[in-house]
Amino acid sequence: MRSKKTLFSIGVFLLLSAMSLIGSEAATPSPAKEIPISAEMKEKFPIKAHHAKLSLKCTDCHENQGDNPENFKLIGDEGCLSCHKSKVYLAERLKFMDTLHVNPHNSIHDGPKLYCDECHFEHQKSDNMCLSCHSNDVKLWMRETP
Amino acid sequence: MSKEMMSRRDALKLGVLGAGAAMLSASQAMAAAPTEKDVKFDEEYDVIVVGSGFAGLAAASKAAERGLKVLILEKMGRVGGNSVINGGAFAVPNNRDQKQFGIEDSAELFIKDALKAGLGINHVEMLEVIGKRAQETYDFAVKCGATFQAGKKPTWFGGHSVARTIVTSNMSGSAIIQPMAAFVEKLPGCKLMTRTKFDDFVMSADGTSVVGVTARTNYRFDNKLLSDDVENKSGEKKVYRAKKGVILASGGFSMDKVYRQLQDPRIIPTQDATNHEGATAGAMLKAFQIGALPVHIDWIQQGPWASPDERGFGVAPLLTQQGLFVKGVAVDVRNGKRFMNEMADRKTRADAEYVILHQDPKAFPVAIGTYNTFDEQVYAAVEKGLASGVMKKFDTLDALAANYKIPADALKETIKKYNEDAKNGVEDQFKKQSLKDVKGKEAIEMKGPFYGIRLMPKPHHTMGGLKINVKAQVISANTNKPIPGLYAAGEVTGGTHGASRLGSCAIADCLVFGMVAGENI
Amino acid sequence: MMKKILLFIKSKLFLFGAAGVFIGLLFSLAMYEGLHRTSDDKFCIVCHEMAPMVAAYHNDVHGGAGKTGIKVTCVTCHLPHDNVLAYIATKARNGVVEGAIHFFGNPDAIDWHANRANKEHFVEDEGCIGCHTNYKTNTNISAKGLKMHAHYESLKNTDKKIGCASCHAEVGHHGLKSMLNYYKPEYPYYNGKLDKQKEEVEKKLSETLK
Repeated sequence: MRSKKTLFSIGVFLLLSAMSLIGSEAATPSPAKEIPISAEMKEKFPIKAHHAKLSLKCTDCHENQGDNPENFKLIGDEGCLSCHKSKVYLAERLKFMDTLHVNPHNSIHDGPKLYCDECHFEHQKSDNMCLSCHSNDVKLWMRETP
Repeated sequence: MSKEMMSRRDALKLGVLGAGAAMLSASQAMAAAPTEKDVKFDEEYDVIVVGSGFAGLAAASKAAERGLKVLILEKMGRVGGNSVINGGAFAVPNNRDQKQFGIEDSAELFIKDALKAGLGINHVEMLEVIGKRAQETYDFAVKCGATFQAGKKPTWFGGHSVARTIVTSNMSGSAIIQPMAAFVEKLPGCKLMTRTKFDDFVMSADGTSVVGVTARTNYRFDNKLLSDDVENKSGEKKVYRAKKGVILASGGFSMDKVYRQLQDPRIIPTQDATNHEGATAGAMLKAFQIGALPVHIDWIQQGPWASPDERGFGVAPLLTQQGLFVKGVAVDVRNGKRFMNEMADRKTRADAEYVILHQDPKAFPVAIGTYNTFDEQVYAAVEKGLASGVMKKFDTLDALAANYKIPADALKETIKKYNEDAKNGVEDQFKKQSLKDVKGKEAIEMKGPFYGIRLMPKPHHTMGGLKINVKAQVISANTNKPIPGLYAAGEVTGGTHGASRLGSCAIADCLVFGMVAGENI
Repeated sequence: MMKKILLFIKSKLFLFGAAGVFIGLLFSLAMYEGLHRTSDDKFCIVCHEMAPMVAAYHNDVHGGAGKTGIKVTCVTCHLPHDNVLAYIATKARNGVVEGAIHFFGNPDAIDWHANRANKEHFVEDEGCIGCHTNYKTNTNISAKGLKMHAHYESLKNTDKKIGCASCHAEVGHHGLKSMLNYYKPEYPYYNGKLDKQKEEVEKKLSETLK
């Protein structure tokens, strides 16, 4: 009688453990299916050093855009902010610049409302929009746009 | 010298390009605005506003406040166009702050000033509306959330016979634009869409009235194109119905490389302007196509307070208008002499600078003054100007003269005479109004240090545009009567300011007539 | 003689044992107390040049700014936890090096801004994971976050290994970049213009550390 009880509880324990294992397996997203990217494409669409350092793959940004890199589209603000949280959060990180009203993410003109790709381009040189009027000042205020 | 030749050659090139483009798109060249029978509407609003600057947002705010469902289309990614990079100066004739500080003003005096600067070709009935309704419009803007440096002595702008300008809290048009955009977006059924380009009007079946627009969402302006309006094909097509009508508030064309040069061949495509890159003529030309009357199109105002040492508007306009021009002088570097009333209207000053620059394109005149000339509001900008190198600071006049290659003795003589006149209350040779303030004192303080900024006019405001009446209705060339369903306000309209607009009158014009359009639609 | 001693010990085995345990416990208590007292910001800041980091830490959920007010000590994230010896050794080494810099070296020469480029080098991931055990499964984390955590996992034992701080740039120190700039501006343009902000931070910091 006693051994049966023990067996039963061990059984329940194992079952629960197994279930928790299955559960955690299901919750962990499997890494995106690797899409072969030709060397030519990689050269044509280089990514920024800070993203390369994290070994990000094309599909980490171009999510659910099929498996043909030729058809990849712009990811828009939503894409960027899926990692970078929110424009307000990004502006907050440069709060010290607000003191002199030169925070590019919270400018006097636009507040934290500009499109990311007004200035930041992942596959080509970024272009600081502030420069179109403050050509001489921007280099004093901030580094080159990453 | 070769400047004219250059421009003629460029104009020729432009012509060739134009011909090529025309052949490629012959079918488009013949396309007239579609009628409601040709399209299927994707969405329906009461009012559609094209443009999100002062005029567009004032119109939208007023219409939305009246309970109408408003859609604002903005082709650029940022809201506000030129208005959001504007200096926030609003001429409010006969305002409350003037009364508080004992400044006597009237709508009549304002009209007189505007007519003088506009060379008398202004449409006076429009000025009357501004003169009468500016204070009320100011209050409406404040109601929508705009913030101003109220309760202070108004600022004195060039060409105005009294100080009547009130500046926004952050010295940028954004203190009007941001809250107004939020005001509209909060009202039920209203929407502001950026990167959405107005393409054409949709006309009623009989072709007489405007009933909607075609547009492209996800459109992306491309500054590398010679003519974005013609060449850019980005975005997805949408058609919107406007039950009550469309308000065109698409701004001026100071950055339209093709159209501005056709009006003034001196303005070559590479010429810098104070405007944002999207300030093009496309939307205005579409209104002409459906019969809108053009007025004063070739009067392109250039800002005489800009500097060749920075791009765009920059910091120089603040440091000269609210600084060096007020108590200081502007001199011709070749002879050290003054050549204009530094506080005259913009056209007078830009023309005076062009006289010099046409003789020697490298002889940029220099504005000179001492710290006493800077308005308290621009103290922060002083340092900015120095740090960026647009403005330079010198301990002595000799050092300044040496830097700009001005004959030192002639310069000292000029300043000596200027100071004497100001001190004795004698009217100087150019009849500068602002020197009355320094009677008995040195206008330029000889102990120094001295500040200098090089000057170059930049296209700033296109005076011409569509003809509207005092109700902001667009007048048709076919009927000389309003085009039903089409209103306009702001820089896209013409006539109000005549040949040249006085500083700080753009906000007045845009907000007043924007509001008027919003009331009447 | 030896026998006698042995006998003596044998007879008092319990006593000796107890004494041993007691000494041991006392030692661990001292050790624990020592390590504990030398683990928080109040202790670390004595030698480490880290006023802006501490100020930013106090503004962070990890520094008590969250709803619960729970505080994680400096060493939780900044010292290795794989074994006690390594922990103590690193601690001792850091103590000597930082103390030396503080008292004899030139702390102003430390380029905080440049050091942030290797931020993951200053953070021990086991420290993070010690609390955030379910970082791979927590349903409060966005889908993208979980995907990236899986990415982190996949790089773990490779030469492309990344750290928690590689992405979580200001973790534990809310507003770190701004704090560092109040103390030492990154660009000369700001020199002398952020002093008011720095003063405010200093004032708050001295009150908190009292």
